[in-house]
Amino acid sequence: MNHLIILPVAIYLGAAFLISLLWRKDDKLAGAAAVSFVFLSAVISIISGIDVFTNGKMLYFAGGWEKPLGIVLMLDPLSSIFLIMTNVIAFFIMLYSTVYMKKYTWAPYFYTLFMIMLAGMNGILISMDIFNIYVFFEIASIASFILVAFGLKAEELEASMKYTVMSFIASTMILFAIALIYGFTGTLNIPAFMSEAAGLSPVHLWFLAGLLLSGFALKTALVPFHSWLPDAHSMAPAPVSAILSGMFVKVVGLYVIIRITTNIFITLPQIRVLLLLFGVLSMLFGGLMAYGQQNIKRLYAYSTISQVGYCAIGLGIGGYLGCLGVLMHFIAHAFSKSLLFLNIGAIEYMTGTTEANQLKGLNDRMPVTTLLGSTGMLGIAGVPPMGNFWSKLIIILAAIKAGYPGIAVLCIIVAVITLGYFLKLQRTVYYNRVENPVKKEAPKMLLFPMGVLTLLVFISGILLVPGIKEKTLDRAVSVMENFSYMDIKIGEKR
Amino acid sequence: MIVYILLALMFFVGLYGIIAKKNIIKIIVGINIVGYASNLLFILLGYKWDGIAPILTENMSITCFVEKAVDPLPQALVLTSIVIDLAFVAFLAALAIRLFEKYGTFDIDKIRRLKG
Repeated sequence: MNHLIILPVAIYLGAAFLISLLWRKDDKLAGAAAVSFVFLSAVISIISGIDVFTNGKMLYFAGGWEKPLGIVLMLDPLSSIFLIMTNVIAFFIMLYSTVYMKKYTWAPYFYTLFMIMLAGMNGILISMDIFNIYVFFEIASIASFILVAFGLKAEELEASMKYTVMSFIASTMILFAIALIYGFTGTLNIPAFMSEAAGLSPVHLWFLAGLLLSGFALKTALVPFHSWLPDAHSMAPAPVSAILSGMFVKVVGLYVIIRITTNIFITLPQIRVLLLLFGVLSMLFGGLMAYGQQNIKRLYAYSTISQVGYCAIGLGIGGYLGCLGVLMHFIAHAFSKSLLFLNIGAIEYMTGTTEANQLKGLNDRMPVTTLLGSTGMLGIAGVPPMGNFWSKLIIILAAIKAGYPGIAVLCIIVAVITLGYFLKLQRTVYYNRVENPVKKEAPKMLLFPMGVLTLLVFISGILLVPGIKEKTLDRAVSVMENFSYMDIKIGEKR
Repeated sequence: MIVYILLALMFFVGLYGIIAKKNIIKIIVGINIVGYASNLLFILLGYKWDGIAPILTENMSITCFVEKAVDPLPQALVLTSIVIDLAFVAFLAALAIRLFEKYGTFDIDKIRRLKG
């Protein structure tokens, strides 16, 4: 039994409890406590990640009950990558919000909700039980609805309303699928379900996969299900937008979709075609809609839809290159999109607006913020040294190799569109002249997390260097390509 | 079988409330009904007609117990799912009050400042 697995969830739940109990009157202490708790679980997730990457998967039986009765928790290379990314990015966002949340009243409640959301996200990553995934999914989602409405302005409440009602439909679909899975097979354990699923008819499997896929696609905001994302992500406070766009969409949506398509419904490879369709639609739609946006946060939100579309395409293509592309694109996009949302948050903190036509000549006013922001934009657009370039290249190569040249061409076109709207934004907001600029740089505590994230955007391509790739990404890809639960025998105890 | 048809009917009534109604309060009631429908599906899956409570007493054989007792797991799951529905409805009700303060209406067609 290795208790490292459950520690991040336990720490976050404990932190939420302690902050709301002890430090709810003191913004500074609550912020310091939140930062140190996130740091602690980031360190724990890295330690357990090193263990997983050297020794293979880590199992945990909740409460000591063995598999047929108890709940299995598991950490394998795939979930470990997501776990490390979540906690590391959350740490920088937390550092940032200790300063940023001074604009808001009741910052301790913000930290409490943020901790609950992180607990849910970590919980999804370690669960090997469908109902357990559902419960943690709801914990994370409900905390995120409240965080979106945290500013209590009229638009924020409206965005949160839309997000909540849409999410309720998603979670109903997932709950129905879970009920039917239990009715058909009599188990909710993913390994046990996989061995039972072979006996189900294709109609049942399609129905289950369709319900689960559309439920989680709504949380990933793939295009037919996307309409809540631009509102919610553009209206939330900047740290919340950063974690929602950077990690939440990927953990709650993409990670579970990866599990569903590559691990659970192995006997139904045709559902990948659906993902390919959703991916192409969201890539095109997000890219085209982002082009005309005036509100910069809304532009970034549409860009998220477009970039998550790339991930769905990679997953739909499958194979070694496709899976590698998904992982690499997810990592690079998580760093650069959270950087961009933090960056626009810093601009909003200093100038009070996020509308592109009210901001001019930021290069003269806030040079460091401008530099970091334009690096992030070039990162998402896929300019060569950054990780996004390599990931897009891998996805395009995978599409050509799998015999989808049309999709490869579309990927290239959308990459050019992405570069186009970011260059347009840079020209109108950052690099134009204003008369008598007043130099007023953002506080250092806002710049430091952005600086580290910029560095990570630059060096995330290092994961593809031969030697490092075999030890990290390849292990996770092998989980996605040929997964077997053979080593989790019924009743086995560690 | 008729129970499942009624269940589907209940689900679609709730879904109609969510999709077609314009009043936020009616949408919340629709959400409640959909939540009850999914909980009821869980309960029905584990239920046996003329079943007994899943408690093993001293003078009962295991085979008899397995044959007659209802499945306790869905009931445990439904408890969790009721709590989740409660969180949804409570949050939406609070949100509706705040929205009414800001916009002065419950009509979702008039709560439309976000576009594009």
